[in-house]
Amino acid sequence: MLESGFDPAHLAQLLALPFMQRALLAGLLTGLLGGLLGSFAVLRQLSFFSDALGHSALLGISLGILLGLNPTLVLIPFAVLFALGVNHLAGRSQLPTDALLNIVYSSSLALAVLLLSRVRSYKGGIQQLLFGDILGVSWLDLGVILLLLLGAGGYLLLSRRSQILLTIDEPLAISRGVAAGWHRLMFIVVLAVVVAISIKAVGVLLISAFVVIPACASRLVSRGFSTYVLVAALLGAGCAVLGLLASGAFDLPSGPSVVVVQLLGFLLALLVAPHTRSARS
Amino acid sequence: MAEMILEVSHLTIGREGSTVVEDVSFILEAESDTALVGPNGAGKSTLVQAILGVLPRRAGQVRLLGHALGARGQLPAAVRDQVAYLPQSIALQGRFPLSVAEFVGLGWDRAGLALPWRGRRARGAAVTLALAKVGGEALAKRLVSDLSTGQLKRVLLAFCVVRPRRLLVLDEAQAGLDAQAAEQFHSLLFDLRRSEGWTILQVSHDLEMVRRTCSGVLCLNRSLRCSGTPDHALSPAQLERLYGRGWVAYHHHHPGASRS
Repeated sequence: MLESGFDPAHLAQLLALPFMQRALLAGLLTGLLGGLLGSFAVLRQLSFFSDALGHSALLGISLGILLGLNPTLVLIPFAVLFALGVNHLAGRSQLPTDALLNIVYSSSLALAVLLLSRVRSYKGGIQQLLFGDILGVSWLDLGVILLLLLGAGGYLLLSRRSQILLTIDEPLAISRGVAAGWHRLMFIVVLAVVVAISIKAVGVLLISAFVVIPACASRLVSRGFSTYVLVAALLGAGCAVLGLLASGAFDLPSGPSVVVVQLLGFLLALLVAPHTRSARS
Repeated sequence: MAEMILEVSHLTIGREGSTVVEDVSFILEAESDTALVGPNGAGKSTLVQAILGVLPRRAGQVRLLGHALGARGQLPAAVRDQVAYLPQSIALQGRFPLSVAEFVGLGWDRAGLALPWRGRRARGAAVTLALAKVGGEALAKRLVSDLSTGQLKRVLLAFCVVRPRRLLVLDEAQAGLDAQAAEQFHSLLFDLRRSEGWTILQVSHDLEMVRRTCSGVLCLNRSLRCSGTPDHALSPAQLERLYGRGWVAYHHHHPGASRS
């Protein structure tokens, strides 16, 4: 049974609290960012990349704790190095990318847990790392997320044509003058930084849901690319705000609440989506 | 003398240590229609991709519309705009939320960073006209991933015709089409070549089509084995040299493919 039922007065009280306002704002921005980046990542088949990066980020956080640094400061360079490393390995190695990602992320996770087990003060706090602590988001964190949203949004807007062509067919894109190698690298670095920054709010286990679920829901119902990206971003933001409100109202953990709302959105999209696939001859 | 659209000299291309294409030289004059033929694994796709700067080359020179292709495939944007490439197929995984009109618009846009709404009206008009030219007006709002193979080829041609081009490079354009659809595609391509003044380089397996429509043939099997008019380059003796003895027997059984 739930500990507390829904109470509008209780929710109004919560909304008056500054940390709840910051949390809602953080959810809104993270959701927008996840949906925006996710709409491209899902088409590029990079959804597993964001999942693997999320898990590997735990190693970055553990290193930060061990060195006594602000985890966010460690996470950004860690994520960029991870993206560059995976890109390099995938280009060089004869192994499929998903297998490589699996090796990198499970070993990072193992190392991170070993490191954390040596740090006494964090033995109890691992749950916060795994599922995020959106109520602990500071104004500084919000500023960083906003800057990132503007940066990533600007980059995707300006390079929209190159991004879509690369997603369709790489030789076709290069023949149209797209700097394929540069844009491929740039995109996964941006994706990595976004995942790293969102981890504080969402946690390492659920971060990939922010990237994958709104984009997939939008993909099922959209009839054009501009609508697709817009719907994914709005769905990401809307689900985050609804999920946080629900978590406040019913006193539930915030990250999982958001993901459950995203799941509901996805199921709704499945219902609404056209069922008959046009026949391919 | 006619204007040179493409000049390839002593082009050698390697992949993972081995040489795939060796010392190939040829030129394409303006408004010629040249077929690149040869057995599987002869390096045809590799050659056309190297000409476009998609794959790196090991040695040799490529000049497109009089401009040298850079070592890493660089070309001035104004030259890129006039060259179009049709890959063998585009493999879209699952539902791809891109409308046909949006896709054709990508062929109109210039390389580099730009705000998506820049030139919106001109792009829209060019897309409508391009779809009309290929008889695909009704497809504008469909998703690219919902098209049949034949419709997709039509849309790819619209992608090429949306801006004035000089050179069109096609990699097995008829792949995946049944005989009737291939025939329709080729007559559309033939008409557009005339009206648009395109020069065409096409990788092809359909020697009968090549005989009927192309003005020149390049026979490739790692290096250029022969070139010239279809009558000369596709004579039984030349084909035996290119494909080996077994192919000629098959060729004689091919309906409609025999020439006295």
